[in-house]
Amino acid sequence: MDTILSILNDIDDTIDYDNEPRLIDNHLLDSFGVITLVSELEEAFNIEIDAASMVPENFNNVEAIWNLVQRKQGVSA
Amino acid sequence: MITYTNEIYLVFFLPLTLLAYEICPKRHRGKVLIAASYVFFYLISKWLFLYLFGVSVFIYLAARLLERARRSGKRYGKIILIFSVLLPVGLLLALKYTNFIGENVTRLGNLLSGGTAVFQPWSILLPIGISFYTLEAVGYLLDVWWGRIPAEKSLEKVLLFLSFFPKLMEGPILRWQDTEATLFSNESLKLENLETGAIRIFWGLLKKIMIADRLAIVVNNLFANYASHQGLVTVLAAVLYTTQLYMEFSGVMDICIGSAKLFGIVLPENFRQPFFAKNASEFWQRWHISLGAWFKNYIFYPMSTSSLVKKWTKTGRKKFGKGLTRAVTSALCLFPVWMANGIWHGAKWSYIFYGLYYFCIILFETVTEPYWKKGMEKLHINMAAPWYRAGQRVKLLCIVFTGEMFFRAENLHVGVHMFRSIFTGSGMAELKGHLLLNVGIDIDDWNVIIAGLIVVVLYDILKELNVFSLEKLRAMKLPVRWSAYYALIFSVIIFGAYGEGYQAIDLIYAGF
Repeated sequence: MDTILSILNDIDDTIDYDNEPRLIDNHLLDSFGVITLVSELEEAFNIEIDAASMVPENFNNVEAIWNLVQRKQGVSA
Repeated sequence: MITYTNEIYLVFFLPLTLLAYEICPKRHRGKVLIAASYVFFYLISKWLFLYLFGVSVFIYLAARLLERARRSGKRYGKIILIFSVLLPVGLLLALKYTNFIGENVTRLGNLLSGGTAVFQPWSILLPIGISFYTLEAVGYLLDVWWGRIPAEKSLEKVLLFLSFFPKLMEGPILRWQDTEATLFSNESLKLENLETGAIRIFWGLLKKIMIADRLAIVVNNLFANYASHQGLVTVLAAVLYTTQLYMEFSGVMDICIGSAKLFGIVLPENFRQPFFAKNASEFWQRWHISLGAWFKNYIFYPMSTSSLVKKWTKTGRKKFGKGLTRAVTSALCLFPVWMANGIWHGAKWSYIFYGLYYFCIILFETVTEPYWKKGMEKLHINMAAPWYRAGQRVKLLCIVFTGEMFFRAENLHVGVHMFRSIFTGSGMAELKGHLLLNVGIDIDDWNVIIAGLIVVVLYDILKELNVFSLEKLRAMKLPVRWSAYYALIFSVIIFGAYGEGYQAIDLIYAGF
Protein backbone atom coordinates (compact mmCIF):
# COMPACT_ATOMS: atom_id res chain seq x y z
CA MET A 1 0.00 0.00 0.00
CA ASP A 2 2.77 2.46 0.94
CA THR A 3 4.57 1.76 -2.33
CA ILE A 4 1.36 2.47 -4.25
CA LEU A 5 0.79 5.70 -2.33
CA SER A 6 4.33 6.78 -2.99
CA ILE A 7 3.94 6.10 -6.75
CA LEU A 8 0.65 7.99 -6.83
CA ASN A 9 2.15 10.95 -4.96
CA ASP A 10 4.97 11.04 -7.48
CA ILE A 11 2.38 11.36 -10.26
CA ASP A 12 0.31 14.04 -8.53
CA ASP A 13 0.85 15.08 -4.92
CA THR A 14 -2.17 17.37 -4.76
CA ILE A 15 -4.69 14.53 -4.42
CA ASP A 16 -5.80 13.07 -1.08
CA TYR A 17 -5.48 9.43 -2.14
CA ASP A 18 -6.56 8.01 1.22
CA ASN A 19 -9.96 9.63 0.96
CA GLU A 20 -10.62 9.60 -2.78
CA PRO A 21 -12.69 6.61 -3.90
CA ARG A 22 -13.12 7.61 -7.58
CA LEU A 23 -9.82 8.78 -9.02
CA ILE A 24 -10.80 7.96 -12.61
CA ASP A 25 -14.54 8.65 -12.51
CA ASN A 26 -13.91 12.08 -10.96
CA HIS A 27 -11.27 12.87 -13.60
CA LEU A 28 -8.49 13.25 -11.02
CA LEU A 29 -6.17 10.74 -12.66
CA ASP A 30 -6.02 11.16 -16.44
CA SER A 31 -4.92 8.61 -19.02
CA PHE A 32 -1.27 9.72 -18.84
CA GLY A 33 -1.40 9.35 -15.08
CA VAL A 34 -2.78 5.84 -15.53
CA ILE A 35 -0.08 4.70 -17.97
CA THR A 36 2.63 6.17 -15.74
CA LEU A 37 1.07 4.36 -12.78
CA VAL A 38 0.94 1.09 -14.73
CA SER A 39 4.58 1.21 -15.73
CA GLU A 40 5.63 2.12 -12.15
CA LEU A 41 3.49 -0.70 -10.70
CA GLU A 42 4.97 -3.21 -13.15
CA GLU A 43 8.48 -2.13 -12.16
CA ALA A 44 7.86 -1.98 -8.40
CA PHE A 45 5.91 -5.24 -8.06
CA ASN A 46 7.38 -7.17 -10.99
CA ILE A 47 3.97 -7.78 -12.55
CA GLU A 48 2.47 -7.57 -16.03
CA ILE A 49 -0.65 -5.44 -16.50
CA ASP A 50 -2.44 -6.23 -19.76
CA ALA A 51 -4.94 -4.32 -21.89
CA ALA A 52 -7.86 -6.27 -20.38
CA SER A 53 -7.06 -4.81 -16.94
CA MET A 54 -7.22 -1.22 -18.16
CA VAL A 55 -10.64 -0.43 -16.73
CA PRO A 56 -11.55 2.39 -14.28
CA GLU A 57 -12.56 -0.11 -11.58
CA ASN A 58 -8.92 -1.21 -11.26
CA PHE A 59 -7.55 2.30 -10.76
CA ASN A 60 -10.30 4.24 -9.00
CA ASN A 61 -8.67 4.16 -5.55
CA VAL A 62 -5.69 2.83 -3.65
CA GLU A 63 -7.53 -0.30 -2.54
CA ALA A 64 -8.59 -1.16 -6.10
CA ILE A 65 -5.01 -0.69 -7.29
CA TRP A 66 -3.75 -2.86 -4.42
CA ASN A 67 -6.27 -5.58 -5.35
CA LEU A 68 -5.13 -5.42 -8.97
CA VAL A 69 -1.48 -5.79 -7.91
CA GLN A 70 -2.35 -8.76 -5.71
CA ARG A 71 -4.31 -10.44 -8.50
CA LYS A 72 -1.44 -9.96 -10.90
CA GLN A 73 1.07 -11.22 -8.34
CA GLY A 74 -1.13 -14.26 -7.91
CA VAL A 75 -1.03 -14.84 -11.66
CA SER A 76 2.74 -14.52 -11.96
CA ALA A 77 3.46 -16.59 -8.80
CA MET B 1 -35.25 13.40 -45.17
CA ILE B 2 -35.60 12.73 -41.49
CA THR B 3 -33.18 14.38 -39.09
CA TYR B 4 -33.18 15.03 -35.34
CA THR B 5 -34.23 18.64 -35.72
CA ASN B 6 -37.04 18.51 -38.25
CA GLU B 7 -40.76 18.06 -37.85
CA ILE B 8 -40.77 14.57 -39.41
CA TYR B 9 -38.72 13.39 -36.44
CA LEU B 10 -40.09 15.60 -33.67
CA VAL B 11 -43.78 15.67 -34.58
CA PHE B 12 -44.35 12.30 -36.24
CA PHE B 13 -41.54 9.77 -35.79
CA LEU B 14 -40.78 10.28 -32.11
CA PRO B 15 -44.39 10.43 -30.81
CA LEU B 16 -45.45 7.46 -32.96
CA THR B 17 -42.50 5.41 -31.72
CA LEU B 18 -43.34 6.34 -28.12
CA LEU B 19 -46.93 5.29 -28.67
CA ALA B 20 -46.01 1.97 -30.30
CA TYR B 21 -43.46 1.33 -27.54
CA GLU B 22 -45.94 1.98 -24.75
CA ILE B 23 -48.84 -0.07 -26.13
CA CYS B 24 -46.60 -3.02 -26.90
CA PRO B 25 -46.11 -5.78 -24.29
CA LYS B 26 -42.88 -5.27 -22.34
CA ARG B 27 -41.09 -8.26 -23.88
CA HIS B 28 -41.59 -6.88 -27.40
CA ARG B 29 -40.56 -3.28 -26.73
CA GLY B 30 -36.99 -3.93 -27.82
CA LYS B 31 -38.35 -5.06 -31.18
CA VAL B 32 -40.35 -1.84 -31.48
CA LEU B 33 -37.17 0.20 -30.93
CA ILE B 34 -35.28 -1.92 -33.49
CA ALA B 35 -38.10 -1.54 -36.05
CA ALA B 36 -38.21 2.23 -35.43
CA SER B 37 -34.42 2.44 -35.75
CA TYR B 38 -34.43 0.59 -39.07
CA VAL B 39 -37.29 2.76 -40.36
CA PHE B 40 -35.22 5.81 -39.30
CA PHE B 41 -32.21 4.36 -41.12
CA TYR B 42 -34.30 3.54 -44.20
CA LEU B 43 -35.67 7.08 -44.39
CA ILE B 44 -32.09 8.37 -44.68
CA SER B 45 -30.05 5.65 -46.37
CA LYS B 46 -32.75 3.50 -48.00
CA TRP B 47 -31.72 -0.12 -48.62
CA LEU B 48 -28.29 0.46 -47.05
CA PHE B 49 -29.95 -0.56 -43.78
CA LEU B 50 -29.03 -4.07 -44.94
CA TYR B 51 -25.40 -3.15 -44.32
CA LEU B 52 -26.11 -2.31 -40.68
CA PHE B 53 -28.13 -5.49 -40.30
CA GLY B 54 -25.34 -7.58 -41.85
CA VAL B 55 -22.67 -6.00 -39.64
CA SER B 56 -24.84 -6.56 -36.54
CA VAL B 57 -25.39 -10.27 -37.29
CA PHE B 58 -21.69 -10.67 -38.06
CA ILE B 59 -20.64 -8.97 -34.81
CA TYR B 60 -23.12 -11.05 -32.82
CA LEU B 61 -21.74 -14.33 -34.22
CA ALA B 62 -18.10 -13.23 -34.03
CA ALA B 63 -18.48 -12.24 -30.35
CA ARG B 64 -19.95 -15.64 -29.49
CA LEU B 65 -17.12 -17.42 -31.31
CA LEU B 66 -14.56 -15.19 -29.65
CA GLU B 67 -15.90 -15.93 -26.20
CA ARG B 68 -15.82 -19.66 -26.86
CA ALA B 69 -12.25 -19.48 -28.14
CA ARG B 70 -11.12 -17.33 -25.20
CA ARG B 71 -12.66 -19.62 -22.60
CA SER B 72 -11.19 -22.75 -24.10
CA GLY B 73 -7.81 -21.04 -24.59
CA LYS B 74 -7.84 -21.84 -28.31
CA ARG B 75 -5.15 -20.07 -30.32
CA TYR B 76 -7.48 -19.40 -33.21
CA GLY B 77 -9.26 -16.87 -31.01
CA LYS B 78 -6.78 -14.19 -32.05
CA ILE B 79 -7.35 -15.00 -35.71
CA ILE B 80 -11.11 -14.63 -35.22
CA LEU B 81 -10.52 -11.35 -33.35
CA ILE B 82 -8.30 -9.89 -36.07
CA PHE B 83 -10.69 -10.97 -38.84
CA SER B 84 -13.82 -9.78 -37.05
CA VAL B 85 -12.28 -6.38 -36.26
CA LEU B 86 -10.67 -5.92 -39.67
CA LEU B 87 -13.84 -6.71 -41.62
CA PRO B 88 -16.03 -3.81 -40.39
CA VAL B 89 -13.04 -1.46 -40.10
CA GLY B 90 -11.85 -2.47 -43.58
CA LEU B 91 -15.30 -1.88 -45.04
CA LEU B 92 -15.47 1.52 -43.33
CA LEU B 93 -12.06 2.48 -44.73
CA ALA B 94 -12.92 1.16 -48.18
CA LEU B 95 -16.22 3.06 -48.31
CA LYS B 96 -14.77 6.30 -46.96
CA TYR B 97 -11.26 6.40 -48.39
CA THR B 98 -11.28 4.71 -51.81
CA ASN B 99 -11.71 7.99 -53.67
CA PHE B 100 -9.25 9.81 -51.40
CA ILE B 101 -6.56 7.19 -51.96
CA GLY B 102 -7.32 7.01 -55.69
CA GLU B 103 -7.06 10.75 -56.05
CA ASN B 104 -3.77 10.98 -54.15
CA VAL B 105 -2.22 8.01 -55.95
CA THR B 106 -3.14 9.67 -59.29
CA ARG B 107 -1.58 12.94 -58.12
CA LEU B 108 1.58 11.16 -57.02
CA GLY B 109 1.73 9.34 -60.36
CA ASN B 110 1.39 12.64 -62.19
CA LEU B 111 4.11 14.17 -60.05
CA LEU B 112 6.55 11.34 -60.73
CA SER B 113 5.80 10.89 -64.42
CA GLY B 114 4.88 14.45 -65.35
CA GLY B 115 1.50 13.16 -66.55
CA THR B 116 -1.87 14.88 -66.37
CA ALA B 117 -4.14 11.94 -65.53
CA VAL B 118 -7.44 12.85 -63.87
CA PHE B 119 -8.91 10.55 -61.25
CA GLN B 120 -12.58 9.80 -61.81
CA PRO B 121 -14.12 9.39 -58.36
CA TRP B 122 -16.42 6.42 -57.84
CA SER B 123 -19.93 7.00 -56.72
CA ILE B 124 -19.92 5.31 -53.31
CA LEU B 125 -23.00 5.38 -51.11
CA LEU B 126 -22.12 5.67 -47.45
CA PRO B 127 -24.59 4.18 -44.94
CA ILE B 128 -25.57 6.80 -42.35
CA GLY B 129 -23.71 6.62 -39.04
CA ILE B 130 -21.20 4.04 -40.26
CA SER B 131 -18.29 5.74 -38.46
CA PHE B 132 -20.18 5.57 -35.18
CA TYR B 133 -21.57 2.05 -35.08
CA THR B 134 -18.35 0.59 -36.51
CA LEU B 135 -16.52 1.87 -33.43
CA GLU B 136 -19.27 0.53 -31.16
CA ALA B 137 -19.05 -2.87 -32.84
CA VAL B 138 -15.26 -3.04 -32.53
CA GLY B 139 -15.39 -1.90 -28.89
CA TYR B 140 -17.95 -4.61 -28.11
CA LEU B 141 -15.80 -7.33 -29.73
CA LEU B 142 -12.66 -6.22 -27.88
CA ASP B 143 -14.47 -6.09 -24.54
CA VAL B 144 -15.74 -9.64 -25.11
CA TRP B 145 -12.25 -10.77 -26.06
CA TRP B 146 -10.73 -9.19 -22.95
CA GLY B 147 -13.38 -10.83 -20.78
CA ARG B 148 -14.85 -7.51 -19.63
CA ILE B 149 -18.32 -8.48 -20.78
CA PRO B 150 -19.92 -11.77 -21.82
CA ALA B 151 -20.90 -12.25 -25.47
CA GLU B 152 -24.57 -11.39 -25.75
CA LYS B 153 -26.81 -14.40 -26.40
CA SER B 154 -29.69 -12.36 -27.76
CA LEU B 155 -29.34 -11.14 -31.36
CA GLU B 156 -32.16 -8.69 -30.66
CA LYS B 157 -30.03 -6.85 -28.08
CA VAL B 158 -27.03 -6.60 -30.41
CA LEU B 159 -29.28 -5.29 -33.19
CA LEU B 160 -30.67 -2.62 -30.86
CA PHE B 161 -27.26 -1.72 -29.43
CA LEU B 162 -25.88 -0.93 -32.89
CA SER B 163 -28.98 0.64 -34.43
CA PHE B 164 -30.74 2.57 -31.63
CA PHE B 165 -32.04 5.58 -33.57
CA PRO B 166 -31.27 8.46 -31.15
CA LYS B 167 -27.53 7.81 -31.48
CA LEU B 168 -27.46 6.44 -35.02
CA MET B 169 -26.48 9.59 -36.93
CA GLU B 170 -24.02 11.35 -34.62
CA GLY B 171 -23.42 9.22 -31.53
CA PRO B 172 -22.70 9.33 -28.65
CA ILE B 173 -20.62 6.23 -29.31
CA LEU B 174 -21.94 3.60 -26.92
CA ARG B 175 -20.10 1.04 -24.82
CA TRP B 176 -22.12 -2.06 -24.08
CA GLN B 177 -21.41 -2.11 -20.35
CA ASP B 178 -22.34 1.55 -19.92
CA THR B 179 -25.73 1.35 -21.62
CA GLU B 180 -27.09 -2.18 -21.23
CA ALA B 181 -28.76 -1.44 -17.88
CA THR B 182 -31.29 0.94 -19.41
CA LEU B 183 -31.13 0.12 -23.14
CA PHE B 184 -32.63 -3.32 -22.66
CA SER B 185 -34.82 -2.63 -19.63
CA ASN B 186 -37.98 -1.97 -21.74
CA GLU B 187 -39.47 -0.01 -18.87
CA SER B 188 -42.81 1.74 -19.32
CA LEU B 189 -42.94 5.43 -20.13
CA LYS B 190 -42.75 7.59 -17.01
CA LEU B 191 -43.81 11.19 -16.58
CA GLU B 192 -40.43 12.04 -15.02
CA ASN B 193 -38.52 10.65 -18.02
CA LEU B 194 -40.88 12.30 -20.50
CA GLU B 195 -40.46 15.65 -18.80
CA THR B 196 -36.66 15.58 -18.51
CA GLY B 197 -36.30 14.07 -21.98
CA ALA B 198 -38.57 16.62 -23.65
CA ILE B 199 -36.93 19.58 -21.95
CA ARG B 200 -33.50 18.30 -22.93
CA ILE B 201 -34.73 18.09 -26.55
CA PHE B 202 -35.90 21.71 -26.42
CA TRP B 203 -32.58 22.77 -24.89
CA GLY B 204 -30.81 21.09 -27.82
CA LEU B 205 -33.17 22.75 -30.30
CA LEU B 206 -32.39 26.13 -28.78
CA LYS B 207 -28.67 25.59 -29.41
CA LYS B 208 -29.17 24.09 -32.87
CA ILE B 209 -31.94 26.02 -34.59
CA MET B 210 -31.77 29.27 -32.67
CA ILE B 211 -27.98 29.73 -32.66
CA ALA B 212 -26.05 27.20 -34.78
CA ASP B 213 -28.26 27.36 -37.88
CA ARG B 214 -27.99 31.16 -38.00
CA LEU B 215 -24.24 31.03 -37.42
CA ALA B 216 -23.97 28.45 -40.22
CA ILE B 217 -25.06 31.10 -42.75
CA VAL B 218 -22.36 33.53 -41.53
CA VAL B 219 -19.66 30.86 -41.33
CA ASN B 220 -20.43 29.53 -44.82
CA ASN B 221 -20.16 33.05 -46.17
CA LEU B 222 -16.89 33.89 -44.38
CA PHE B 223 -15.21 30.61 -45.31
CA ALA B 224 -16.43 30.75 -48.93
CA ASN B 225 -14.86 34.21 -49.31
CA TYR B 226 -11.76 33.42 -47.24
CA ALA B 227 -9.43 34.89 -49.88
CA SER B 228 -10.76 38.39 -49.33
CA HIS B 229 -10.49 38.31 -45.53
CA GLN B 230 -7.57 39.09 -43.26
CA GLY B 231 -6.67 39.65 -39.62
CA LEU B 232 -9.61 39.97 -37.26
CA VAL B 233 -12.13 38.81 -39.86
CA THR B 234 -10.30 35.50 -40.31
CA VAL B 235 -10.05 35.17 -36.52
CA LEU B 236 -13.76 35.90 -36.30
CA ALA B 237 -14.48 33.19 -38.90
CA ALA B 238 -12.58 30.67 -36.77
CA VAL B 239 -14.30 31.79 -33.55
CA LEU B 240 -17.76 31.72 -35.12
CA TYR B 241 -17.21 28.29 -36.67
CA THR B 242 -16.06 26.88 -33.31
CA THR B 243 -19.15 28.39 -31.70
CA GLN B 244 -21.40 27.00 -34.43
CA LEU B 245 -19.85 23.55 -34.11
CA TYR B 246 -20.22 23.52 -30.33
CA MET B 247 -23.81 24.76 -30.44
CA GLU B 248 -24.75 22.36 -33.21
CA PHE B 249 -22.98 19.21 -32.02
CA SER B 250 -23.75 19.61 -28.32
CA GLY B 251 -27.30 20.70 -29.25
CA VAL B 252 -27.89 17.60 -31.34
CA MET B 253 -26.43 15.51 -28.51
CA ASP B 254 -28.99 17.09 -26.16
CA ILE B 255 -31.74 16.07 -28.59
CA CYS B 256 -30.34 12.52 -28.88
CA ILE B 257 -29.87 12.08 -25.14
CA GLY B 258 -33.30 13.63 -24.51
CA SER B 259 -34.94 11.36 -27.11
CA ALA B 260 -33.49 8.27 -25.45
CA LYS B 261 -34.49 9.57 -22.02
CA LEU B 262 -38.16 9.65 -23.13
CA PHE B 263 -37.93 5.84 -23.22
CA GLY B 264 -36.05 5.77 -19.90
CA ILE B 265 -32.77 5.00 -21.71
CA VAL B 266 -29.66 6.79 -20.48
CA LEU B 267 -27.06 7.62 -23.14
CA PRO B 268 -23.59 8.84 -22.10
CA GLU B 269 -22.88 12.56 -22.13
CA ASN B 270 -20.74 13.75 -25.03
CA PHE B 271 -19.86 17.24 -23.75
CA ARG B 272 -18.88 18.57 -20.34
CA GLN B 273 -18.40 22.35 -20.60
CA PRO B 274 -15.28 21.91 -22.81
CA PHE B 275 -14.18 25.54 -22.71
CA PHE B 276 -13.55 25.29 -18.97
CA ALA B 277 -10.63 22.93 -19.63
CA LYS B 278 -7.17 24.12 -18.66
CA ASN B 279 -5.30 22.44 -21.51
CA ALA B 280 -5.82 20.58 -24.79
CA SER B 281 -5.68 17.17 -23.14
CA GLU B 282 -8.47 18.08 -20.72
CA PHE B 283 -10.42 19.73 -23.54
CA TRP B 284 -10.66 16.35 -25.26
CA GLN B 285 -11.95 14.82 -22.05
CA ARG B 286 -14.81 17.30 -22.25
CA TRP B 287 -15.42 17.60 -26.02
CA HIS B 288 -16.84 14.67 -28.00
CA ILE B 289 -16.23 12.60 -24.87
CA SER B 290 -17.42 9.27 -26.28
CA LEU B 291 -14.99 9.45 -29.23
CA GLY B 292 -12.07 10.37 -26.95
CA ALA B 293 -13.05 7.59 -24.53
CA TRP B 294 -13.20 5.09 -27.40
CA PHE B 295 -9.70 6.01 -28.58
CA LYS B 296 -8.43 5.89 -24.99
CA ASN B 297 -9.96 2.48 -24.23
CA TYR B 298 -9.28 0.73 -27.52
CA ILE B 299 -6.12 2.37 -28.87
CA PHE B 300 -4.28 4.35 -26.17
CA TYR B 301 -4.42 1.78 -23.35
CA PRO B 302 -3.80 -1.30 -25.54
CA MET B 303 -0.85 0.58 -27.07
CA SER B 304 0.48 1.55 -23.63
CA THR B 305 0.33 -2.08 -22.46
CA SER B 306 1.75 -3.50 -25.70
CA SER B 307 5.05 -5.38 -25.67
CA LEU B 308 6.63 -2.68 -27.86
CA VAL B 309 5.93 0.10 -25.34
CA LYS B 310 6.81 -2.08 -22.36
CA LYS B 311 10.13 -3.07 -23.90
CA TRP B 312 10.91 0.54 -24.63
CA THR B 313 9.96 1.63 -21.08
CA LYS B 314 12.28 -0.95 -19.53
CA THR B 315 15.30 -0.24 -21.71
CA GLY B 316 14.59 3.48 -21.98
CA ARG B 317 14.63 4.03 -18.23
CA LYS B 318 18.00 2.37 -17.84
CA LYS B 319 19.63 4.08 -20.79
CA PHE B 320 17.94 7.46 -21.21
CA GLY B 321 16.32 8.33 -17.88
CA LYS B 322 12.70 8.89 -16.91
CA GLY B 323 12.07 12.15 -18.78
CA LEU B 324 12.98 10.98 -22.28
CA THR B 325 11.39 7.58 -21.71
CA ARG B 326 8.14 9.26 -20.74
CA ALA B 327 8.31 11.50 -23.82
CA VAL B 328 8.83 8.61 -26.23
CA THR B 329 6.21 6.44 -24.49
CA SER B 330 3.69 9.28 -24.74
CA ALA B 331 4.51 9.75 -28.44
CA LEU B 332 4.17 6.02 -29.16
CA CYS B 333 0.77 5.86 -27.47
CA LEU B 334 -0.57 9.19 -28.68
CA PHE B 335 0.38 9.02 -32.34
CA PRO B 336 -2.02 6.20 -33.33
CA VAL B 337 -4.80 7.85 -31.31
CA TRP B 338 -4.55 11.18 -33.11
CA MET B 339 -3.92 9.69 -36.53
CA ALA B 340 -7.07 7.62 -36.02
CA ASN B 341 -8.94 10.70 -34.81
CA GLY B 342 -8.00 12.63 -37.96
CA ILE B 343 -8.76 9.74 -40.32
CA TRP B 344 -12.03 8.96 -38.53
CA HIS B 345 -13.36 12.44 -39.33
CA GLY B 346 -13.07 11.86 -43.05
CA ALA B 347 -11.01 11.55 -46.19
CA LYS B 348 -9.33 14.94 -46.26
CA TRP B 349 -5.76 16.04 -45.61
CA SER B 350 -7.09 18.82 -43.38
CA TYR B 351 -8.61 16.22 -41.04
CA ILE B 352 -5.32 14.34 -40.87
CA PHE B 353 -3.60 17.66 -40.17
CA TYR B 354 -6.20 18.30 -37.45
CA GLY B 355 -5.34 14.99 -35.78
CA LEU B 356 -1.60 15.58 -35.98
CA TYR B 357 -2.05 19.16 -34.75
CA TYR B 358 -3.54 17.87 -31.49
CA PHE B 359 -0.97 15.08 -31.33
CA CYS B 360 1.85 17.67 -31.31
CA ILE B 361 0.11 19.95 -28.81
CA ILE B 362 -0.87 17.23 -26.34
CA LEU B 363 2.53 15.55 -26.61
CA PHE B 364 4.23 18.89 -25.95
CA GLU B 365 1.95 19.58 -22.96
CA THR B 366 2.52 16.11 -21.51
CA VAL B 367 6.28 16.11 -21.90
CA THR B 368 6.84 19.64 -20.62
CA GLU B 369 4.27 19.55 -17.79
CA PRO B 370 6.64 18.32 -15.02
CA TYR B 371 9.34 20.84 -16.01
CA TRP B 372 6.78 23.62 -16.30
CA LYS B 373 5.45 22.85 -12.81
CA LYS B 374 8.96 22.92 -11.34
CA GLY B 375 9.68 26.20 -13.12
CA MET B 376 6.52 27.79 -11.75
CA GLU B 377 7.35 26.59 -8.23
CA LYS B 378 10.83 28.11 -8.48
CA LEU B 379 9.37 31.39 -9.66
CA HIS B 380 6.80 31.22 -6.81
CA ILE B 381 3.93 31.47 -9.29
CA ASN B 382 0.65 30.15 -7.98
CA MET B 383 -0.80 27.95 -10.73
CA ALA B 384 -4.21 28.02 -9.03
CA ALA B 385 -4.41 31.83 -9.14
CA PRO B 386 -7.36 33.18 -11.18
CA TRP B 387 -5.08 35.20 -13.51
CA TYR B 388 -3.00 32.10 -14.23
CA ARG B 389 -6.09 30.01 -14.98
CA ALA B 390 -7.48 32.77 -17.19
CA GLY B 391 -4.18 32.73 -19.11
CA GLN B 392 -4.45 28.95 -19.52
CA ARG B 393 -7.97 29.33 -20.96
CA VAL B 394 -6.94 32.04 -23.39
CA LYS B 395 -4.13 29.78 -24.62
CA LEU B 396 -6.58 26.87 -24.96
CA LEU B 397 -9.06 29.01 -26.89
CA CYS B 398 -6.32 30.02 -29.34
CA ILE B 399 -5.42 26.35 -29.81
CA VAL B 400 -9.05 25.28 -30.32
CA PHE B 401 -9.97 28.16 -32.68
CA THR B 402 -6.91 27.50 -34.84
CA GLY B 403 -7.60 23.77 -34.96
CA GLU B 404 -11.24 24.29 -35.93
CA MET B 405 -10.26 26.77 -38.63
CA PHE B 406 -8.14 24.10 -40.35
CA PHE B 407 -10.91 21.56 -39.69
CA ARG B 408 -13.54 23.70 -41.43
CA ALA B 409 -11.38 25.00 -44.29
CA GLU B 410 -12.18 23.55 -47.72
CA ASN B 411 -8.77 21.89 -47.82
CA LEU B 412 -5.37 22.10 -46.16
CA HIS B 413 -4.15 24.69 -48.67
CA VAL B 414 -7.06 26.98 -47.77
CA GLY B 415 -6.41 26.37 -44.05
CA VAL B 416 -2.78 27.48 -44.42
CA HIS B 417 -3.84 30.52 -46.46
CA MET B 418 -6.35 31.53 -43.78
CA PHE B 419 -3.84 31.07 -40.98
CA ARG B 420 -1.30 33.25 -42.81
CA SER B 421 -3.94 35.88 -43.58
CA ILE B 422 -4.42 36.49 -39.84
CA PHE B 423 -1.01 38.18 -39.83
CA THR B 424 -1.15 40.00 -43.17
CA GLY B 425 -3.68 42.67 -42.24
CA SER B 426 -5.96 43.86 -39.46
CA GLY B 427 -9.34 43.33 -41.14
CA MET B 428 -10.58 46.45 -39.34
CA ALA B 429 -11.65 48.15 -42.57
CA GLU B 430 -13.95 45.25 -43.41
CA LEU B 431 -15.46 45.22 -39.93
CA LYS B 432 -15.98 48.97 -39.98
CA GLY B 433 -17.69 48.55 -43.35
CA HIS B 434 -20.48 46.58 -41.66
CA LEU B 435 -19.23 43.24 -42.96
CA LEU B 436 -21.23 41.36 -40.35
CA LEU B 437 -24.48 42.74 -41.74
CA ASN B 438 -23.56 41.55 -45.23
CA VAL B 439 -22.94 37.90 -44.49
CA GLY B 440 -26.45 36.53 -44.95
CA ILE B 441 -28.19 37.47 -41.69
CA ASP B 442 -29.58 40.76 -40.38
CA ILE B 443 -29.34 42.59 -37.07
CA ASP B 444 -32.33 40.73 -35.62
CA ASP B 445 -30.61 37.40 -36.29
CA TRP B 446 -27.47 38.68 -34.58
CA ASN B 447 -29.53 39.74 -31.57
CA VAL B 448 -31.06 36.27 -31.35
CA ILE B 449 -27.60 34.65 -31.63
CA ILE B 450 -26.16 36.90 -28.91
CA ALA B 451 -29.14 36.41 -26.59
CA GLY B 452 -29.00 32.64 -27.14
CA LEU B 453 -25.26 32.53 -26.52
CA ILE B 454 -25.59 34.50 -23.28
CA VAL B 455 -28.14 31.93 -22.04
CA VAL B 456 -25.96 28.94 -23.04
CA VAL B 457 -22.75 30.43 -21.63
CA LEU B 458 -24.48 31.30 -18.34
CA TYR B 459 -25.91 27.80 -18.17
CA ASP B 460 -22.47 26.26 -18.81
CA ILE B 461 -20.93 28.42 -16.07
CA LEU B 462 -23.62 27.46 -13.56
CA LYS B 463 -23.35 23.80 -14.53
CA GLU B 464 -19.56 23.85 -14.20
CA LEU B 465 -19.95 25.39 -10.74
CA ASN B 466 -22.51 22.69 -9.94
CA VAL B 467 -25.07 25.37 -9.08
CA PHE B 468 -27.70 24.67 -11.74
CA SER B 469 -28.57 22.18 -14.47
CA LEU B 470 -31.65 20.92 -16.33
CA GLU B 471 -31.70 17.94 -13.97
CA LYS B 472 -31.70 20.28 -10.94
CA LEU B 473 -34.46 22.36 -12.52
CA ARG B 474 -36.83 19.44 -12.11
CA ALA B 475 -36.42 19.56 -8.35
CA MET B 476 -37.40 23.23 -8.22
CA LYS B 477 -40.85 24.56 -7.32
CA LEU B 478 -43.57 24.13 -9.93
CA PRO B 479 -43.96 27.84 -10.91
CA VAL B 480 -40.19 28.28 -11.33
CA ARG B 481 -39.84 25.05 -13.23
CA TRP B 482 -42.69 25.66 -15.65
CA SER B 483 -41.75 29.29 -16.18
CA ALA B 484 -38.33 28.09 -17.30
CA TYR B 485 -39.89 25.37 -19.48
CA TYR B 486 -42.25 27.83 -21.18
CA ALA B 487 -39.45 30.34 -21.72
CA LEU B 488 -37.36 27.63 -23.37
CA ILE B 489 -40.18 26.20 -25.49
CA PHE B 490 -41.39 29.59 -26.73
CA SER B 491 -37.84 30.76 -27.42
CA VAL B 492 -37.38 27.78 -29.72
CA ILE B 493 -40.76 28.22 -31.42
CA ILE B 494 -40.46 32.00 -31.88
CA PHE B 495 -36.74 32.40 -32.51
CA GLY B 496 -35.84 29.10 -34.16
CA ALA B 497 -34.35 29.50 -37.65
CA TYR B 498 -36.86 27.36 -39.50
CA GLY B 499 -39.72 27.78 -41.96
CA GLU B 500 -39.88 30.42 -44.68
CA GLY B 501 -36.67 32.37 -45.20
CA TYR B 502 -34.46 29.73 -43.65
CA GLN B 503 -32.84 26.74 -45.25
CA ALA B 504 -32.53 23.51 -43.28
CA ILE B 505 -28.89 23.08 -42.24
CA ASP B 506 -27.45 19.56 -42.41
CA LEU B 507 -25.96 18.05 -39.27
CA ILE B 508 -22.17 18.45 -39.39
CA TYR B 509 -21.20 15.25 -37.59
CA ALA B 510 -23.68 13.11 -39.54
CA GLY B 511 -21.29 13.62 -42.46
CA PHE B 512 -18.38 11.91 -40.69
